[in-house]
Amino acid sequence: MSIIAVPSMGNGGLNDQISPRFGRCASFTFVEVENNDIKAVKTVPNPAANAMGGAGVQAAQIIGNNGANIVIVGFLGPNAANGLNALNLELVQAPNETMTIKDVINLYLEGKLQKITNSNVASHYGMGGGRGMGGGRGMGGGRGMGR
Amino acid sequence: MNHIKPNVICITGGKGGTGKTLCAVNLAVMFKNEGNKVLLIDGDVENPNTYLLLNGKLENKKEVPFFKPKIIEKKCSKCGLCSQNCLSNALLHVKDTFPIPMLTLCSGCQLCYKICPENAIEADSKTMGWIYSTTVNGLSLLLGELKPSEARSAAIVEALLEKLKTIIEKEPSKFDIIILDTAPGAHCDVELLIADADIVIPITEPTKFGKLDLIRIMELIKLLGKETRVIVNRSSLLGFREQFLNELEHENIEILGDIPLDSDIVESYCQGTPIMEKNSGFNREGAGYIGFTQIYENLKKWLKTIKQ
Repeated sequence: MSIIAVPSMGNGGLNDQISPRFGRCASFTFVEVENNDIKAVKTVPNPAANAMGGAGVQAAQIIGNNGANIVIVGFLGPNAANGLNALNLELVQAPNETMTIKDVINLYLEGKLQKITNSNVASHYGMGGGRGMGGGRGMGGGRGMGR
Repeated sequence: MNHIKPNVICITGGKGGTGKTLCAVNLAVMFKNEGNKVLLIDGDVENPNTYLLLNGKLENKKEVPFFKPKIIEKKCSKCGLCSQNCLSNALLHVKDTFPIPMLTLCSGCQLCYKICPENAIEADSKTMGWIYSTTVNGLSLLLGELKPSEARSAAIVEALLEKLKTIIEKEPSKFDIIILDTAPGAHCDVELLIADADIVIPITEPTKFGKLDLIRIMELIKLLGKETRVIVNRSSLLGFREQFLNELEHENIEILGDIPLDSDIVESYCQGTPIMEKNSGFNREGAGYIGFTQIYENLKKWLKTIKQ
């Protein structure tokens, strides 16, 4: 049995879309899987969505507190990666396209997603020009996953 | 100059490369030439290089420590209070596990250390940077350096200002003049140094960039309620001198003086011999030498109006 956490665009659930952002996604969907079958689905709102700093760490805590051992991510910042690595979680790279959480889970179960170990973007990526936060980079330019 | 307290002059400027350090060093030298005891503080802690313009060396290296939490697992009850209260979200805590410090996020506030009910967090420290003190040709120099890869430069500036405060409180007659040289920009490192000065001298140059950054730094100086007058460096650049001085006047910016382009300045800069040093051997009729002399005279008159 394993629990897979997926950052979600809306309220979460299998029909919601995966969020390209990890620390500042709206909610997390936790999918319990046994023998490649989905057994249970739980959603948890992300209180760190609007945090000034350290959202990745807070989000990692939510993942850990809900017993997940696998996380599927789009963009992952350095603090979030450090936090998830500190918890010894398996990190999996989501495809760079819009899709439902159900489809992402199925791709994972089919073995079509790759494991990652490190962050793939800078801090505050996708936040736009955050006031006084430094290092913020907008997503723009069609690089984002969501539409 | 017989002051109860030394005059503190802050050299700043908004834009990088306008000649802040050049002016800070030469003003310090001119005060020293007249028998004043001068302390020059380099507060550009990401690029401390004042000593190069004086042909000095970095000496008496002292570490600037910065708080870091150390979790004592034997004592920790895994309650999570530290993590819940950390404003920087620098303590990762998952139920039934020990909290994990995320040091790049830690602001060093020590709240976790103070509130832990089990005293399971110790105040450990890491090196944020260093402070150096040295004397070159009778000029006292204090420099701060941020450790590469660390981000909290203000902690180094605060350590420099703490040292300055101790000197002023304990040995008020040790120095007559204290000159603070800031980093470019209008950020918190610069703000800390301006806030501790009696008067502020921004250095600018007659370009659009110079003017824009000058206006930004003037806003900060105004917010801090400091008296300020500007030095225009490279004032003869492209023949814009009159136009630029008029523009500053139009913005109600007071001018302390200007320094025209002068190859002697370039030479002194490359040699590490301040042009205004007594025996520097540079032409005393040169445009740079005359410019600095005039600025120094104006500065002395200005200081008389603000002290006692």
